[in-house]
Amino acid sequence: MTTMALGSWPGGFAWAFSRDFRLAWRNPGETVLVVAFFVLVASLFPLGVGADMRLLERIGPGVIWVCALLAAFLSLPAMFSSDYMDGSLEQMALSSHPMVGWVSGKIAAHWIMTGLPLTVLSPLLALQYGLEPDTLLVLAAALAIGTPVLSLLGAACSALTLGARGGGMLLALLALPLFVPILIFGAGAAQAQASGLSPSPHLSLLAAGLIVAAMGLPAAVCLAIRIALD
Amino acid sequence: MNWSYFSSPSTFYRLAGWLSPWFFALAAILTAVGLYYGFVVAPTDAQQGEVYRVIFIHVPAAWMSMFIYFVMAAYSAASLTFNTRLGAMMARALAPTGALFTFVALWTGAFWGRPTWGTYWAWDARMTSELVLLFLYFGFIALANAFEDPRRGDRAAALLALIGLVNLPIIYFSVHWWNTLHQGSTVKLTGTSMHVAMLTGMLLMAFAFWMYSIGAALTRVRSIILERERRARWARSL
Amino acid sequence: MNHGFYLWMSYGATAIAIAIEIATLAAGRARARRLIEEERDLEAQD
Repeated sequence: MTTMALGSWPGGFAWAFSRDFRLAWRNPGETVLVVAFFVLVASLFPLGVGADMRLLERIGPGVIWVCALLAAFLSLPAMFSSDYMDGSLEQMALSSHPMVGWVSGKIAAHWIMTGLPLTVLSPLLALQYGLEPDTLLVLAAALAIGTPVLSLLGAACSALTLGARGGGMLLALLALPLFVPILIFGAGAAQAQASGLSPSPHLSLLAAGLIVAAMGLPAAVCLAIRIALD
Repeated sequence: MNWSYFSSPSTFYRLAGWLSPWFFALAAILTAVGLYYGFVVAPTDAQQGEVYRVIFIHVPAAWMSMFIYFVMAAYSAASLTFNTRLGAMMARALAPTGALFTFVALWTGAFWGRPTWGTYWAWDARMTSELVLLFLYFGFIALANAFEDPRRGDRAAALLALIGLVNLPIIYFSVHWWNTLHQGSTVKLTGTSMHVAMLTGMLLMAFAFWMYSIGAALTRVRSIILERERRARWARSL
Repeated sequence: MNHGFYLWMSYGATAIAIAIEIATLAAGRARARRLIEEERDLEAQD
């Protein structure tokens, strides 16, 4: 860590990323919870709606996406709150690293521990729902592009609600409406592939969303943290 | 003229109090004329009969729901950039009216859709993003009131309003991007295919809602100013 | 259902919603005035 230049964007990114990654590695409970929730809820649907494979194949992309959304949402409160409570967030804000750097690092670490495992596991769940291989691939691709946007949007909502009354409910009210376009395009991509249409409009819009989110949201998260710390 | 004179809460309080009755009066007159056009002048529709007259509320309400959000976001941007209290108070004053028009647009849309398309609700692009807009308004109001320190609520909600701004183009353009139940827009900047009396009624109602929104926001901001500034000398001497 | 039902439900709900908002505005004004009175009382006690 000290080999990275102090006071630089990559330095801050690498520092925060490796810190959060190591913390999660030592306490894998949070990550395991997210993954277990994802698999569990996705397995509940066939039990509830019956094992009609044609029905499952139709609802599969949407259900898997909703489970990914909810699982990602579960991990949001913890993104900044423990650092906020014990004062390390304030210390990081005062450090010489530019804020955007280490905030981006935190968000990237969050995605590695939530969105990435969900994306990797999605083919298994897709097989449970009887999705065709090409649909499965498009679904995984859509998740790969969309879950980072969920992490970015989720980070903004999490930072905005630090120390707020209403806790998790307020976070849900803020985050889930913002997630909706990602859900629509992400599930839509897989559904398009399944009905023989091209998924590329959906995937392109998702990618565009990722670019815009990656460019704009880290700065917004920084502002939200500054608002919380004042 | 020194415009920053009006950004002091006490001055704006007086200005808003002087202005708001005029906006309400204008709204009432425009509503009367608009509904006259809508129900007396405008003819019965060839396909939909009388029920199309919901359009005189539905479309103006939908326009206002988006416009108010845009103004709210503009005030939010100004309040964050210039760190003014009044900008944030105006954003808070606009939010409930914006939520009201979003609800009205969704409700009247449902009661127009049932007799014409056969369903109260469909998950098409425009309806879904309008519903998301309603939740954005709720989120703004909830976040603004979620903190002991009202300034923290001001700034957090302002940032949220800006993040949610991306939803507006999605609503506006959704009708072009998807082939859904909603017809393409019949009112464009280049002209319209609507009957002129129907268009007049719709535009008059849109202006009526606009004037009402300004009146409501000015009234609401006065209460917010009084509450916030109640320890100031000018407030106590009212 | 004849078309009158849908028109009444639409216009009626709008009228009710606006009435509720105006009532909320009035209540907000009353509350602000009350808070000012309290501040004035507090000041008078000093």
